[in-house]
Formats: sequence, structure tokens, C-alpha cells
Amino acid sequence: MTTLRGRAASPGAAVAAAHVHRPDAVQLPEHAAGDPQRETARLIDSLDSVARDLEEAAARASGAAGEILHAQAAMARDPALRELAASGVAAGRPAARAIVDAGDDFAARLAATDNPYLAARAPDVRHICDLAGRALIGAPPRRPPHPTEPSILVADDLMPLDTAQLDPDLIVGIATAGGAPTSHTSIVARALGVPAVVGVRGLLDAVADGATIAIDGDTGLVHIDPDPDTIADLRASALRQRERHDRARARAGTGPTRTADGTHIEVAANIQGVEELRVALAEGAEGVGLLRTELLFIDRDRPPAVDEQVALLQAMRELLGDRRLVVRTFDIGSDKTVPFLPARPERNPELGVRGIRLARLHPDLLDTQLDAVAAVADLGPTAVMAPMVGSIDEVEWFVGRVAKAAAPPNLDVGVMIEVPAAVLLAGEIAQRVDFVSIGTNDLSQYLHAADRRNPTLAGLQDPFDPAMLRAVDLVCRGAQGRCWVGVCGEAAADPAWACLAVGLGVTELSMHARNIADVRATLRRVTRADCATAAAEALGATDPLAAREIAAALVGPDRNERPCA
Amino acid sequence: MSGAVVEREVEIAGELGLHARPAAEFSARAGRFGCDVALIKDGRAVDAKSVLLVLTLDVRQGDRVIVRAVGDAADRAVDELTALIGRS
Repeated sequence: MTTLRGRAASPGAAVAAAHVHRPDAVQLPEHAAGDPQRETARLIDSLDSVARDLEEAAARASGAAGEILHAQAAMARDPALRELAASGVAAGRPAARAIVDAGDDFAARLAATDNPYLAARAPDVRHICDLAGRALIGAPPRRPPHPTEPSILVADDLMPLDTAQLDPDLIVGIATAGGAPTSHTSIVARALGVPAVVGVRGLLDAVADGATIAIDGDTGLVHIDPDPDTIADLRASALRQRERHDRARARAGTGPTRTADGTHIEVAANIQGVEELRVALAEGAEGVGLLRTELLFIDRDRPPAVDEQVALLQAMRELLGDRRLVVRTFDIGSDKTVPFLPARPERNPELGVRGIRLARLHPDLLDTQLDAVAAVADLGPTAVMAPMVGSIDEVEWFVGRVAKAAAPPNLDVGVMIEVPAAVLLAGEIAQRVDFVSIGTNDLSQYLHAADRRNPTLAGLQDPFDPAMLRAVDLVCRGAQGRCWVGVCGEAAADPAWACLAVGLGVTELSMHARNIADVRATLRRVTRADCATAAAEALGATDPLAAREIAAALVGPDRNERPCA
Repeated sequence: MSGAVVEREVEIAGELGLHARPAAEFSARAGRFGCDVALIKDGRAVDAKSVLLVLTLDVRQGDRVIVRAVGDAADRAVDELTALIGRS
């Protein structure tokens, strides 16, 4: 075990595999540039484009993260920065070099103030100049980190655009070599509610990608390959933390979530394991709306046996009591591959053999999983759903497989709605299942034909996008009187969006545990009728900002943390 | 009134000084005026339209600063900007 010391930036403790993020460096041209007038015009264009990207990302982010992105956009439009870079071009430097030098100059000036808040803005300036420089030499945009399993993110430093694109479900902690408690990374970690340690010297030399690390966001310690005692101590401290949080939760209210007029909306959790379920229940989860089962399949050389799957589901059923457990059958394919299935190179894995399409090629894998679900269905309300369904044929095939698994009649069967075809067929699908659950993350990317990991297209992932709201509306109309509709994408975690969804007819919202209290508290303050009125108005909006404002007016002011000097 | 110089001293009211959002808002508002606007603290003058330069002044709550404008609508710029950041 190696222990490094940094600065505590966000409270709590975490133990997990390290996801080491090393953004590719780019080589800037040193040779003299072409026509200075043309170089200056390119310089201004690239800064304008960086500013627009940041403004777009800011519009989608909330609270503290949004403010930082706004501040960075203002920097990209800063006349003094542009003037300094233009003078570099006039002196014969290529535009990319000139803007990076200008950024360094301003960063040094900020770092020279004796105000830690201002010093923490220095990397923000460097970052926007780096983005502009990359665009100017035709380099690809900085690659954001994307872990594929819950990890502690390890990096030199993280930039606002990096973290704006993080999948919050996959980050359990953050450790950086740079940064300070006032810097962007720390603010984002606190907003996400995950522990963080920053300013850890030598971090990247000491941590290999995938190594187990433990971080303590209260003491600032980072343990690499921690011994069992250290892990136990950290877990105990994390538990105490959780207990403090639980008391706060108790004050916020318990029991089923009811809107102000008494309509019950089930607020459930997205989880992968038993530990997460404990946390979610402490947060007030009324059930599990999405159990991801991929962890059972990845990183192993043979598929999990039915006993192993039953054991996991049983442990969860015991904790849940009479609360519902929705199991999603394996969503392998796309970026999640497994060693025991033959690799099949695909030109477009997101549009390839994933989810139920892979299950149809390997029905034995699915049958084993369905047998395991069927075995626990008598222990309490249990449901199973298939991902990536896009046709009635697939729905009927899946329902047939469940029937063959000797499932007790109380096992509910559903499908996810994440492919536009399924939105259009919602009525016919609803006739054949007990429920549907809208996966907003994938539905966004497929509605817009926009890769959700492509930072240039991130603006199309806005859940307040009119096309997305209308898709949810179509699904609810199709399902009306036939089956219930849930949402299990990140959109459900936004209290304002959740209210619109309820207004459209959604009766179950499933999200990361940390967002549950917030969504519950918000739903209690609104009536179903008010949600419906706001939703009807939002459906008429032609851009996401307008829809967001309508929802924001319904739920009142944003109480997220704000950065402070 | 082109060429007129207008200036006024104010005490910074905001808890955050001229950092973060207040600094960005101040520079953005200054940027809407056609006249030149300077922010002066302890004898150091910077272009008020540059949020980066405003930040480098490290203006905190209670600091006394001068807003100076030269050119078209200079008096309006000084009125508006001092009202934005100053103690009433």
C-alpha cells in the first residue's frame, strides 16, 4: 500500500478501481505563420467557436457547473485575451501558438494574486486557450474521460468540459494531481456528492489504470492498493457520513412520494449492486427502477451461473421487502463487451448488436438470467425488462422467453423505450407488457442520431429538447390505460424535468441514489394538475431553453451549491 | 458629448467582490457601451470590458474602486456600472 497526501476537496470516502484519464497532448507549430491578417481571423473564429461550445454546455449544466462554464465562455470572448493573442500573431507567431501563449500569460497573472479563488481560475483560462489551439491546428477535441464501470477518476486536472460530459453513475470519487479545494474539480465533486482529493503530487506516477485506490475526502489521503484495515476504516467513516446524511433525510420526510394533491409517484433507484441498494434505500428510494446486470458479465471468462445470479437477486429482494425490483436483462454490446462472447467488429457499435439483439443471438444467456429472476419473483414485487427493443416482434419474443422461464404470474414483464421505433409503437407495445421504462440517455442519442460521447454534439443530449419531451408524451399517450410508464435515464434525476414527466403521465422515476431526496422533495410541493399544465406548455416549446424555463418556473429557484470567493 | 471623461469612486457592495459571476456580469455590462471604460483599484487601471483583467485586480467587498469612462454615453456607463457594484 502506498499513501499520498493531497487536499480534502469533497467529503466522504470511496474505494474503487482507478480510471486514469490522460488527455492526449498536442504538438503546437513553432514555425512562422502565414498571412497575419488571415491568422488573426482564424484566431477570432476559433475563440468564438470555443465560447459557443461552452455556452451550450453551460445551458445544459445546472448550478455550480453551469456557472463555471459560463465564466469560461466569458473568458473566451475576453477582449484583452484576444488582443494579446493577436499581438502574438502580429509578431509572426502562428495563431495556435499565440493563443496558448496568451492563455499562459493570463493564467500566470491570476496565479500571482494572493487569492486562492483567482489562482484556481488559472487552469480555466489555459483550458479554453488549449481548446482554441487544438481547433486551429486541426487536432481532435480534448477527449473526455469515460469510464465503463463505477470508478474513481484519476487525472492531472479536470476541466469543466470534461466533467460536464461525465456519466455521474460511473464516478464514485475523484482524485487529481492539480487543483485546489476552490477549483472546478472540487466544486463539481461536491455537486455530484462524491468524495474528492485534489493537489496530490506524484499521483499519476503512482496509480496505474485499473488499480484499486481508496480516497478520503475528509483527510485528503489517497491510498493505492489499500490494505484491508485501511479499507475497513474508510468504509466505517463513510458509513458515519451516511448516517449524518440519513438524519437529514429523515427530516425531509419518508414514505411514498405523493404530489401536493396526493398522487403517488414512485421514486426509485438505478443500481448495480447490493451496496448501492443500501445507500439508495437510506436515501428514500421506494424501490429499484433499474438494476443493471452487466457487472455480472464483464471481466470474466465464462457467463455467470444461475445460482450466482439468484444469490445476488435474493440479497436485493431481502433488503427491498415489499418494494419493487426491476431487473434489466444484460445490455451488452456497444461499449460493453464480454470476454466469453466472440468479438464482432462493428462499424457502428451503438447501432449494432447490443441489448436484446445480442440476447437473440445467445438466447441461452438470456434464459439463464430469466430463470434467476423467476426464482426470486415470489419473494416480493419483481419485474424484468429488456433493453434496446425496437419492434413488436422483439417484444413478443421477449415476453415468450419470460413465459418459458416458468415465471410466477406475479412477475411483471416490460421493455425499455430507448429506440425511436419503440416510441412510435408505444401503443402496440403497451398492449403486450405490464410496463415500459424510458431510457432517456440512449433515446436522446437515437432520436437525434447523435453519438452521446461526441462532445461536439453534446447540445443534442438535452432532455428538455422538444423532440424528447414529445417522445415522452407519445409513449404516455400510447400506454394510457394499458400499462404504466417509468423513466430510468439521467433526465429523471432533474427535479424540474421530473415534474414535466409526471405532467405527461409518467408514474415512476428511477435515478441515481443521490438525487432521490431532491426529486421527492420537489414532487411533494407540486400538484399533478400544475405539472400537466406546465408539461402542456413545454410541449409547445421549440427549444430546450424555453421548456427548461417553463419547468423551472413550476419548481421555483435552483438551490444548488454556488461557487464562492 | 464625445470625448468627455466621467469617473466616480464606489465601495464594492457584493459579498463576492468582483469575482465569479459578479465580475462576469460587470464586464459584460461594460462591454455593451461604445465608450472606453476603465476600472481602477489602488492606482491600477484595467479595461473594464475584460473579465480576465478585472479578475486580476482581485477586487473584494469593501474595496474602493473608480469607474472611469471616456466617450459616448460615458455618464450613463458610469451611472449604470457603479450602481451595479457599489453600495447604495
